[in-house]
Amino acid sequence: MTSSAVAPGATTSENGEPRAARRSDRARDEARLGWWLAGPAFVVMLAVTIYPILQAFYDSLFSYRLTAPSDKEFNAGQNYVVVLSDPVFWQAFLVTAVITIITVLVELVLGFFLALVMHRAIRQLRGVLRTAILVPYGIITVVSAFAWFYAFDINSGFVNHWFDWVPGIDPDLNWFAHQGTSLFVIMASEIWKTTPFISLLLLAGLSQVPGELEEAAQVDGATAWQRLQRVVLPNMKAAIMVAVLFRALDAFRIFDNVFIMTNGANGTDVLSLLAYRTSIGRLEIGLGSAISVLLFLCVIGICFVAIKLFKVDLASARGEG
Amino acid sequence: MRRRNRGMAATAALALALTLAACASESGPPTLTWYINPDNGGQVEIASRCTEAAEGEYRITTEVLPRDAASQREQLARRLAAKDSSIDIMSLDPPFIPELAEPGFLAPIPDDVAEAVTADVVQGAIDGATWRDELVAIPFWANTQLLWYRKSVAEKAGLDPSKEPVTWQQIMDAAAEQGKVLGVQGAKAESLTVWINALVESAGGHIIENPEAPADEVELGLESDAGRAAAEIIGTIGREGLGGAGLPTADENATMTVFQRDNGSFMVNWPFVWSATNAAVEDGTLDADLVDDIGWAIYPRVDEGTEARPPYGGINLGIGAFSAHVDFALAAAQCIVSPENQAYYFATNGNPPASTKAYDDEAVQEAFPMADVIRESLENAAPRPQTPYYNEVSTGLQETWHPPASVDPETTPTTSTDFITAVLRGEALL
Amino acid sequence: MRTLTTRAKVAWAVITVVVLVWALLPVVSIIATSFKLPSQLNLGTFWPKTWTTTNYEQIFAGSAKDLFLPALRNSIGISLIATFVAVVLATLAAYAIARLDFRGKKLILTTALGVSIFPVISIVTPLFNLWRNIGLYDTWLGLIIPYLSLTLPISIWTLAAFFRQIPWELEQAAQVDGATSWQAFRKAIVPLAAPGVFTTALIAFFIAWNDFVYGISLTSTSAARPVPAALAFFTGASQFEEPTGAISAAAVVVTIPVVILVLLFQRQIVSGLTQGAVKG
Repeated sequence: MTSSAVAPGATTSENGEPRAARRSDRARDEARLGWWLAGPAFVVMLAVTIYPILQAFYDSLFSYRLTAPSDKEFNAGQNYVVVLSDPVFWQAFLVTAVITIITVLVELVLGFFLALVMHRAIRQLRGVLRTAILVPYGIITVVSAFAWFYAFDINSGFVNHWFDWVPGIDPDLNWFAHQGTSLFVIMASEIWKTTPFISLLLLAGLSQVPGELEEAAQVDGATAWQRLQRVVLPNMKAAIMVAVLFRALDAFRIFDNVFIMTNGANGTDVLSLLAYRTSIGRLEIGLGSAISVLLFLCVIGICFVAIKLFKVDLASARGEG
Repeated sequence: MRRRNRGMAATAALALALTLAACASESGPPTLTWYINPDNGGQVEIASRCTEAAEGEYRITTEVLPRDAASQREQLARRLAAKDSSIDIMSLDPPFIPELAEPGFLAPIPDDVAEAVTADVVQGAIDGATWRDELVAIPFWANTQLLWYRKSVAEKAGLDPSKEPVTWQQIMDAAAEQGKVLGVQGAKAESLTVWINALVESAGGHIIENPEAPADEVELGLESDAGRAAAEIIGTIGREGLGGAGLPTADENATMTVFQRDNGSFMVNWPFVWSATNAAVEDGTLDADLVDDIGWAIYPRVDEGTEARPPYGGINLGIGAFSAHVDFALAAAQCIVSPENQAYYFATNGNPPASTKAYDDEAVQEAFPMADVIRESLENAAPRPQTPYYNEVSTGLQETWHPPASVDPETTPTTSTDFITAVLRGEALL
Repeated sequence: MRTLTTRAKVAWAVITVVVLVWALLPVVSIIATSFKLPSQLNLGTFWPKTWTTTNYEQIFAGSAKDLFLPALRNSIGISLIATFVAVVLATLAAYAIARLDFRGKKLILTTALGVSIFPVISIVTPLFNLWRNIGLYDTWLGLIIPYLSLTLPISIWTLAAFFRQIPWELEQAAQVDGATSWQAFRKAIVPLAAPGVFTTALIAFFIAWNDFVYGISLTSTSAARPVPAALAFFTGASQFEEPTGAISAAAVVVTIPVVILVLLFQRQIVSGLTQGAVKG
């Protein structure tokens, strides 16, 4: 089963075009116009990413500290050796991976629930529910991080007081003093902020499920669970895969929440924060660039795995045709 | 034809944007930009006072830096590394001065100016503005931590810190016996380094033995009796819960909150707690009785027989080496640090003067009845290590001495020494 | 309208309440915090004991005014310009992709995809160095350009999806009538495309408005510093006191426009995001 369920809509516009007759002149004209229209966007996108990453790769080959510019020297990959042999890097890598996996899984379940709610909601409630669900999507991540941080803070927060009936929570619980509890709050805020996005992607998939199929299954006496399992989910596979991949890549870059809440204390360091601290904080451009390049390679790696192993068909899923 | 026009239009637009971005109009008297740390508006006021005093020779405008010291350094170092000529005067946290002085980012202070701005200035502030035996910054205000205590708790423990200096052991025992909480800064932040340094220095040691050495030759002094004594105090407070549940995230503000509660006992903290507590009483948040119960004294000792070396903080003014108006900037800085301005700053913003003269000001004595204790504390205060690699040293300490409960006198000094040494040699990440 | 059983009604009521609490509680909590007296922040209550506007006075008229107001101006200006540029470029590109047949189409879409997953932190250091050298550091343009890396890809995808759903017969009809591709685009398609363009602009604006990493790395004065970066510069009555109140107030101020936009345009945003995501 591939993403054929979504693909057909994608190709109609081109198939509908009578192209054979007017090749040659018209085709050349069209191609030129196409590049004139799309070219600027293409060039801008390349300029703001390809150049910097190449520069980062170049810088990563030097021992280079911004406050000691005269000591800059080529050290042929020594930075990579230092980074890759350092437990700090692997610890950050592990934490980043854990955050990515857990948040994406939770968001998938929650997001599916919200998508169902938006999909099925009776008309009177639809506007209210959609608006509520969209609010976290629109809020600045930093603001969300502060909101969650203040809520859980041992001195100013209300969570310890509201939830002191939960075993393990009492006014003396310092959420940001332990790895587990800090990560819990960091992930909760990340989930809160980004679940709307994933649920919208899933909603799109949900609306692709042919209604007749579901009705037919219902007539055949399938329970709600069976319908979900046999009809809805298989037809949404492409949407789910795309949602997971996009969220995973986004979660892997997590920075704002961690920066605000713990700044990496108690084993909550993540790769982006490590890269930031090294190149912007310590001004160790060489080492920092090496981490940046490795982070970039990780992202490429995740993409590669997703596309090759899990056969996420981005092209058709995203309507490339 | 059309293609070329469009390309040219785009180029022109870009060029225009670049010009607009790069060029700043210059007319009238030179404008000096003073990068200030956030405060309660005192530096802005001083800037306008000095602009007035300059009688049209120059104008001073302010640009605010981030709240925490490490980020302030980050911003300034980045701009200075780019030889930014827009930085004329900088409010600098003393530990970061060597890093900026070493590569020549700070304009040299002429001898006559140096002499003028160090007269009647507390020793701690002069030390903090000096690098390789040269004055590289102008002392502005000097901060120090005092021991703040609840008189009721001290009395019950049979202590009178205002008369007889107390030791860490004594206040730990008192807090443990009465089931109270000590106010110390255990958060993974600069305040933890402040605490470690004060303990090590009070025990007669130094975090760095040779602060002027290049990165790969820096020798740490933590694997010593002093380092172990400091680790013993921090570890015990952490493990026995003497700092309360909030200790691993307690910064100066959180520490004050804990101290103001019913289970508050002793606290080491900067003088801002006095004005903040009084403000909370005015708001009706705290009982007026609380203020009467608060006492202050010199920082606790580590050894009974050795005088404490309290933390030293504050702000010194650096002059940007790439400034187009170094002379004016020097003149402006001298105006900023005049004893009157320092006294004004203390009385309104709670930041103690570096100049001993300013303490005699009436407004100061009224706002801060502990002004004399502060002056005395500053004379003994120990700066944090003055090294160009301070950021690495401080972050390395925070990495290895946090959370406080994990600090062990047997292992922590060695672990942190190895870690910081490796970082300084470029062999480990931070 | 369907008639609902009582059970279904109750179920929907419960679901609605749960979703509302889940989505809005953190927002309400920071609103509540923004009205607390600085000295009462640590009482551990949800609502303020004494309601006060001190924090708002601080950021609009008090000591944080010179920090917050320029930041607000920067955030609005930079986000709007970045959105505008991204939408203009993306509209042209998306039209070409949806409508024209030319080689390299796939390359453009793949590039957009690649750019949208790019780790921001990886490019911020080299950009910082480059900006310093060419004078773009701490300027509006210095933020607008990198913001395009965030807003352009999603704009292209969303708009391409929108454009594919437009009834192209109209354009073909116009072309048969002798109009060029460009005229056909302008006369027949623009009116139909406008809602999609608007939705895309909203989404792009949210993304630019949300940025933090570029904001803290590529600015250093109030000349270009946006609000999320400025929050780290707030201070209480002294440098050691927590600026919780001021941060909360500023957070509320920058959240209000978002909530209003969401309230007004929830339908468009939902369709915009879902279109761009999966549909063709």
